[in-house]
Amino acid sequence: MKNTLSKIWKSYNIAVIVFIVAIVLGILSPRFLSLDNLLNVMTNASLVAIVGLGMTLAIASGNFDLSVGATAAFAGCISFSLVPTIGVPASMVAGLAAGAVIGFVNGLIITELRVPAFIATLAMLTIVRGLTLIYTDGKDLYLFGQTNYKVLSGEYLLGIPTPIWLAVGICLLLSFVIGQTRFGRHTLALGSNLPAAKRSGIPTSRVLWIIFSIVGATAALSGMIISSQVLTANGRLATGLELSAIAVVVLGGTPLSGGQASMLGTLLGALLISMINNGLNLLNVPIFYQELTVGVLMLVALAVNINKGFDVRSLIRRHA
Amino acid sequence: MTENNHRQLLEVQGLTRRFPGVLALNQVDFDVRAGEVHALVGENGAGKSTMINILAGVLQPSGGTVLLDGLPVVFHNPANAQHAGISVIFQEFNLVPHLSVAENIFINRELTRKGMIDWTTMNQRSTSALKRLEIDIDPRVPVSSLSVAQQQLVEIARALAFDARVIVMDEPTAALSEKEVDRLLEIVRSLAKEGVGVIYVSHKLEEVFRVADRVTILRDGTHILTDQASNLDEEKVIYAMVGRALVHGKCPDRNIGEVVLKVKNLDVEDTVRNVSFELRSGEVLGLAGLMGSGATEVVEALFGLRNARAEEIVLQGSTLAIDNPRNAIYSRLGYVPNDRKKAGLLPDLSVKHNISIGILERLRRAFWIDGKKENESAETYRDKLNVRCSSLDQRISNLSGGNQQKVMLSRALAEDCKVLLLAEPTRGVDVGAKAEIYSLIDSLVDSGMAVLLQSSELPEIIRLANRVVVFSSGQSRGEITGSNLTQESVMALATRV
Amino acid sequence: MSVLTKSKSTVSANLDWDVLWERYGIATVLLISWALAYLFVPKFSNPDNMLNVIRQSAFVGCAAVGMTMAIISGTFDLSIGSTLAFSAYLGLLVVRQTESVPLGLLTTLAAGMAVGTVNGFLVTRVKIPAFIATLGMLFIVRGLTFIISQGGEPVRFNGKAFTWWGNGSLFGIPTPFLVFILCALVGSFVLSRTAFGRYIFSIGTNPNAAVVAGVPVTNTTTWIFIVVGLFTGISAFLIGSRLYSAGPGLEPGFELNVISAVVLGGTRLAGGRGSMIGTVAACLLYATMGNVLNLLHADAFAQRVAVGLVLLLALSIEGIRQRLFERSSRRISTVKTM
Repeated sequence: MKNTLSKIWKSYNIAVIVFIVAIVLGILSPRFLSLDNLLNVMTNASLVAIVGLGMTLAIASGNFDLSVGATAAFAGCISFSLVPTIGVPASMVAGLAAGAVIGFVNGLIITELRVPAFIATLAMLTIVRGLTLIYTDGKDLYLFGQTNYKVLSGEYLLGIPTPIWLAVGICLLLSFVIGQTRFGRHTLALGSNLPAAKRSGIPTSRVLWIIFSIVGATAALSGMIISSQVLTANGRLATGLELSAIAVVVLGGTPLSGGQASMLGTLLGALLISMINNGLNLLNVPIFYQELTVGVLMLVALAVNINKGFDVRSLIRRHA
Repeated sequence: MTENNHRQLLEVQGLTRRFPGVLALNQVDFDVRAGEVHALVGENGAGKSTMINILAGVLQPSGGTVLLDGLPVVFHNPANAQHAGISVIFQEFNLVPHLSVAENIFINRELTRKGMIDWTTMNQRSTSALKRLEIDIDPRVPVSSLSVAQQQLVEIARALAFDARVIVMDEPTAALSEKEVDRLLEIVRSLAKEGVGVIYVSHKLEEVFRVADRVTILRDGTHILTDQASNLDEEKVIYAMVGRALVHGKCPDRNIGEVVLKVKNLDVEDTVRNVSFELRSGEVLGLAGLMGSGATEVVEALFGLRNARAEEIVLQGSTLAIDNPRNAIYSRLGYVPNDRKKAGLLPDLSVKHNISIGILERLRRAFWIDGKKENESAETYRDKLNVRCSSLDQRISNLSGGNQQKVMLSRALAEDCKVLLLAEPTRGVDVGAKAEIYSLIDSLVDSGMAVLLQSSELPEIIRLANRVVVFSSGQSRGEITGSNLTQESVMALATRV
Repeated sequence: MSVLTKSKSTVSANLDWDVLWERYGIATVLLISWALAYLFVPKFSNPDNMLNVIRQSAFVGCAAVGMTMAIISGTFDLSIGSTLAFSAYLGLLVVRQTESVPLGLLTTLAAGMAVGTVNGFLVTRVKIPAFIATLGMLFIVRGLTFIISQGGEPVRFNGKAFTWWGNGSLFGIPTPFLVFILCALVGSFVLSRTAFGRYIFSIGTNPNAAVVAGVPVTNTTTWIFIVVGLFTGISAFLIGSRLYSAGPGLEPGFELNVISAVVLGGTRLAGGRGSMIGTVAACLLYATMGNVLNLLHADAFAQRVAVGLVLLLALSIEGIRQRLFERSSRRISTVKTM
C-alpha cells in the first residue's frame, strides 16, 4: 500500500510542479499561454516523451538503453531512403521495424552474450551510428515536397499535432501494458527481483527481447518525427537523445532501481523540461541555460525524492 | 501419523551430482510419501541444498534417477518441476517485492481474460488459498509491506494454489519468532494431513522432532540414515550428522577482572528498551535470545551500526559516543558480524587484505602501506587461528565458511581490540572449525580479553559464556550465572512475553 | 571438510584464469594486433606512425586512469565530457592571459577537481545515485562552459611552451604518452600500495562490509570523484595543448569513450576488481585500431562500427565463457527406462 501511495504521490507531485511552473511562466511572459505556443511546447515534449516512454519500460525492468539516439537516427535515415521506392506508409513501417530490430539485437546481446545492458547498448550506440553514417555515406537525406511524411509532425487531427497524439497514445498504451498484461507485470518482476523472476519460470530472455524491441521502436518513432519536422535525416540526428530520455524518466519519478514504472510521470517530465526550455526562450535567456536547467532540475528532483535510500528489496531478505 | 499405507510421491535413487573438484551428492536414496513430513538433516556442505536444487529443477543430476509416482522424470528447469507438482520454498524467498500478494501467488501463471489480467478472480483465489492457512492478508498489497513470516506464508500459499503435491522447505524458521515458528509447524502438519508430502530441511533438531514423521541424515553428500522420528533422538541424529559424539559442556572457569564496559539504559531504535549490563575483562558475557529478541541489535548498536541512545556507555573509564564503526574500532571495539556474506567479507580481496583492512593506518610507512609488516601480521594470525588457505594472497571467497570466519576474527584481533563483540560467531561453520573457534575464544579470554557473545544457539552460549543476559521482545529478562546456567533456564527467560 | 577445501581450491584454479584474462587479456590482444598490423598493414611499422599511435592513446588515457579507480569502487562519472571542456577552456584562458604554462595547468587541474568535489558532495551528502548525479552535472557543467565562453566561442592559444605538451616529444617519445604512463604508474601505485587504493577495492567489492570494517566510505568516495576530476583535468590540458584551442564542444562523447576503454581493459562495472595495465592496453588498442583503419583507408564511419564491435566482442568473451561453464555443469542424467 505504501508503495502504491508513494508512486501516485510522485506522479501527482510532478503534475503539481508542472502546473505551478506553467502559471509562473504565464505570468512572466503572456505569450507562453498562447495556444500556438502551448502546442509548440507539447510537440517538443512529445519528441522526447515518446522515446522516454520506451526507456521507462527498460528502466522498470532494471536495464538501460544508451543506444536510442543512434537507433533514432538509423530509423530516420532508413525510412527516408525507402520513400522513393516503397512510398511513405511502407517506409514508416520499415523505420519502425528497423528500430525494433536494433532493439531486439540489444536484447540478444544482453541475454545470449551476457553483456550488461549498460555496456551492450553503449557499444551498440557506436556501432549503429557508424552503420547509419556508412549507409548515408555521411550525407543528408532529403525529402522534397513529400508532404505525406509530414503526417508525423503536422497537425491533422483536431488541429493538434500528431506527435502529441502519439505521445499520449503510447503513454496510455504502455500504462495499460504495465498494469494489465502479463508481459507488463513480468517486466516489473524483472526489475524488482530478477533471480526470483527467473526461478519462478518467467521467460526472462523473451521478456527482455520484447522490452528492448519496444524501446527500439519508440526510438525509431522519435527519430522519424524529428526527421519529418525538417524533412532531413542524417547520421548525426538525435545525438544525446539517450541522456535526455533518461532525464525525463528520472524527473517523472520512475526509480532507476526498477520494479516500478510511471508512464504518466515520464510524460509530465518531458512536458516540464519542454515548458522550461520554452519559457527560457521566451524570456530571451540564452539557449545554453536550458541544458543547465535540466541538469539542476534532475538533481533537485532526486534530492527530494521520497524513494531515496528506500530499498524495497531489502524487505524481502531474511534478517537471520 | 501412520505412514505405512501412504504411497510414494517422489523418490530419488542413486542420486549423484558432481561439481568441478567435489562430489556434492554420492548415490543418495531418498523418498517422500503422501501425507508425511520427512525431515532432511545435515551439516553445511552435507548436500541438502544440492538435492533441493535438483528436485526444484534448478540443477541437473550427474547420475541417478528422480522418480515421480514411480516413473522417471527429468526436470530441465524450474517450470518443469512446478508443473510436476513440486514446490520448493527457498531460504532466499522467490517473491517479487513490488508486486502484490496475489500476483506473487500466481507468478507466471497469472489468470487472464481476453489478454488482460483478471484481478478479481486472482484476488479471490488468493484469499481462499490464504484462508486455508488461516491467515488474513489483503492479496492486493505489495509483498514488500509484509513481515518475513507473512511472506513465507505467501510462498506456502503459492505452493498450495498450484496443487503442489510435494513441498520442500529449506530452513523455514531461520527468521521467525517463536510464536511464528509454532504457527508454521502447525501449518506443516496440516499440510501433511491434507495429503501433501513435505520435505522439511532444517538443522534445528528440536523443531525436526516436533514436526517430522521420518528423518533422513546426510553427511558429506552421502546418505547415512533414514528412520522414523520416533525411533530417533537428538543424540543419535547429531552423531549421524557429525560422525562422532559431540562434546557439549559448560564453559571453563574464567579469571574475571575489572569492569571494562558499562552500559546503562540503552535504547536501540524502537526495538530495544532499557538495557543495562557490565562486562569485565577475562569473561564471556552471553547475550542470549531467539530471533527478534533484540540481542543482535544491542551488539550492532555498540558497534555504531544502529541508532541508539543510552544514559551511559563507559569503556575503560571514558564515556563513549559511537555512531559509526570507525569510531568503534578506534575505541578498541572489535566486531565479527552475524552475516559475513552480507556485511563481513570483502569477497574479491585476498585473505591478507581482509585481515588488514582495519589497521591500514597503522601499517603505513610515509604514505604507502608497509607490505612486509602487513604480511607478518597476516601470517601471525593465520598461524594463531589456523586458517587453512593455500596462500595469504588467495581470494577469501575461496575459503570454507569456518576459515572465513577465522579471518573475520583475525581482522578484529589485528585491530588490537579490548572488547570483542561476536554475533553468531559459528554460523555457517562446520563442526571442526567450530571447536577451534571455541578454544580460541577460551584462550583469548584467558589473556584478558572481554568478550560480548550474542548467539541464538543455546549450546554455544552454555559452552562459552560464564554469565548470560537473556533477551526477549527487546528487553533484557534477567541474568543467569554459575550453576543456574542451563539451557532450560535460559530458554525459560527467552520465551517470556 | 577436506572435500570442501579441495573443491574450493579447484574452483580457485578456474578463477585464476579469470584473473589472468582480466589483467593481461587486453594487453595480449594488443600485442597480437600490433604483430598483425606490423606484418600486414603497410606503413604501420613506420616509426612516425607508431609514435602517432601512442600519442593518440594518451588523451583518453589520462582520464581513464581516474575512471578506472572510480569503476573499481563501484561507481562511475558521466560528467567528465563536460568537465574536460570546462577545465580545458579555463586553463587555456589563463595560459593565454598570463603566458604561464604552470598556472594554466594548475587552473585546469583545479577546475577538474572542483567539479569532482561537487560530484562527490552530491553522491555522498545529498545521496543522489552516481548515475544521475553525474548525468545532471554533465548537463550543468556543459551549460556552464557555454556561459563562461559567452556562447561557445572557443579560446585559442598557440604559444610554443604550451603546445609542446600535446604535440612535442621528449627523447623521441611523445610527451602526452609520457604523461599518460606517469599517470598510470601513479594510479597503479595508489591502487595497490596505499590505504586509499585498498579502500577503493573494498567499497567496490562489498560496500556493506566496507562500512562494518571501518572503511571511511564517505571520504573515500568523495576523493574518488575529485581524483577523477584531477585526471580529467590532465587530459583536458593535453587535449587543449594538442588542438591549440578549447570550447564547449570539445571531444563530444568523451565520457563514453573513457568508460569504454576502462571496461575493455578488463575492469568490470560491478566493481571490486580492476587493472590499470588493462586500461593502458585498451587505450593503446583503440588508438591502434583507429590508426590501422585509417591506413587501410577505411571509412571514418566504419571505424566507429569497429570500435563498438571490439568492445562488444571483448565483453562477450566473458559472457560466452560463463555460458559454456554453465552448460558443462548441466549434463542431463541418462534416464533409466522402465
